[in-house]
Amino acid sequence: MDKLPMALDQNCSGASEDFPSLLRRKGLRQTPLDGPIAGGHQPFVPTESTTILAFKFSAGVLVAGDRRATAGNTVVYDRADKVLEIDRHSIMAIAGVPATAWEMARVLEHSFQYFRRTQLQEMRVDGKVRALSKLLRDNFGFVMQGMGMVVPIFATYDFDTNSGGRLYFYDAMGAQFEVTDYAATGSGSPAVRGILHYANNWSDKPLQRLSEDEAVTIALRALDTAAESDTATGGVDRSGKIYPLIKIVSHDGIATLPEQKVASIFNETVA
Amino acid sequence: MIEEPYRWVEAIANRREYIETQLAAGSPIAALGYGEGILFLTLGQARQKLFEIYDRIAMGAIGHPGDIERLRMAAIELASTEGFTRSAADVSLRRLAHYSLSPVMKSAFEQVYGPPFLARLLFAEIGAQPENDLFLRVEYDGAIATNGATAAQRSQDFAVLSGTRQSTELMESFRKSEHAADASLEKALNTALDAWSIGHMSLGKEDVNALPERTAFAQHRQEQVGANSIEAAVLERKGAGAIRYRLLSEKEARDLIGD
Repeated sequence: MDKLPMALDQNCSGASEDFPSLLRRKGLRQTPLDGPIAGGHQPFVPTESTTILAFKFSAGVLVAGDRRATAGNTVVYDRADKVLEIDRHSIMAIAGVPATAWEMARVLEHSFQYFRRTQLQEMRVDGKVRALSKLLRDNFGFVMQGMGMVVPIFATYDFDTNSGGRLYFYDAMGAQFEVTDYAATGSGSPAVRGILHYANNWSDKPLQRLSEDEAVTIALRALDTAAESDTATGGVDRSGKIYPLIKIVSHDGIATLPEQKVASIFNETVA
Repeated sequence: MIEEPYRWVEAIANRREYIETQLAAGSPIAALGYGEGILFLTLGQARQKLFEIYDRIAMGAIGHPGDIERLRMAAIELASTEGFTRSAADVSLRRLAHYSLSPVMKSAFEQVYGPPFLARLLFAEIGAQPENDLFLRVEYDGAIATNGATAAQRSQDFAVLSGTRQSTELMESFRKSEHAADASLEKALNTALDAWSIGHMSLGKEDVNALPERTAFAQHRQEQVGANSIEAAVLERKGAGAIRYRLLSEKEARDLIGD
């Protein structure tokens, strides 16, 4: 019998196979497991992007990223989007190589939907967190070849256990770490962590009790501070009027703060 | 058998009869356009019969659960890989049905030593404008019926699926007389329930050519709504995100029809 143009002879439940495996079966996704990439050892300076941060506040989880992408000493792009919506309640923010990160975000987005459509139920938070972990692990071969390093933050809202916003950061090998208060990754992250730690412990109130405007203020101050010492972090471009991208995950879904609002809070409390 | 064409034709005819008998009890499914999108509706007791295939594509099916599942998985796989490698906008119901599902279903049907698909599928894809909506029915033998406009016919914003041809035709003729394109969801649910009742009443009866009296199908509807669960889903034309498919909860559907 002729080979059917689609996989009708496969295990139908879809449970044995996740979306990345489907892509591999169809030859649509290459990973280092398939062998080394030609030219991987030649001098190559990949485009990278930094810095991202996230913390829980009174209304949910705030995720913010500066807009700069660099390659070595060169600023490649000043309007990069590093805070990516994966589904109605999940955000992946990325520090590292955007080419890899955007592809990962795309696979992840389709993974969640593929699971929901085939299995007729939403993927649990633990499953989503693990899915990103597996993508990072698949990518580790590229990292060892000196390119394609991605260090993401994942923020989502947990309806399963009713525990509200959940926040994770990862290392390049795919280990996931859940945090209770805040996370920051990328080259500007040491400064950001310092500020968030200070704000959380010794300011008027801890991060979790901040209002939205107060939370945005802290996020902008942290990114501006990171940009002060880290050339790879864009911070706020005062002349070009380019502001960090800020999104909030809450029970109602994901809200992107309008640039105007970010600008007015910046002018009032940071500039 | 290849050398004996007559026997092949006979085998196909037997097979068609067998499949029609198997499908004859299938609970009808109605899909219709309304003011804000497309509504899918059916009543049933156990098994889910309405499914999300991709951002803008929904499917309803009757038949053997195993066969429905294989076709559903194939459709989701195709749509998902297409949407991933190209873009969500490149996923097209017309291509999915004509180039992938239909040929496979036809060849399974005609290879008389292998099993056919005991399933009948109803798809809808929501477009940017109502005139871009596509309704499409794929039969177990790969035959496709669409609402598409041709020189001879205007495009219709509804489609139905049922166990028998008679039931399907009665539902269609009811829908033609009752339907308003800009109806509210509430109105659309009521029309769909009436259409479902008319289709369901005629199952198992022979030679019912005329639509039943309103009181007769209203009573049938009331009995069935009481005894079954309502399964309804919508494809919404204006949504915040890319995904336009939304399953209505039982409560939401019953609140809307005032049950």
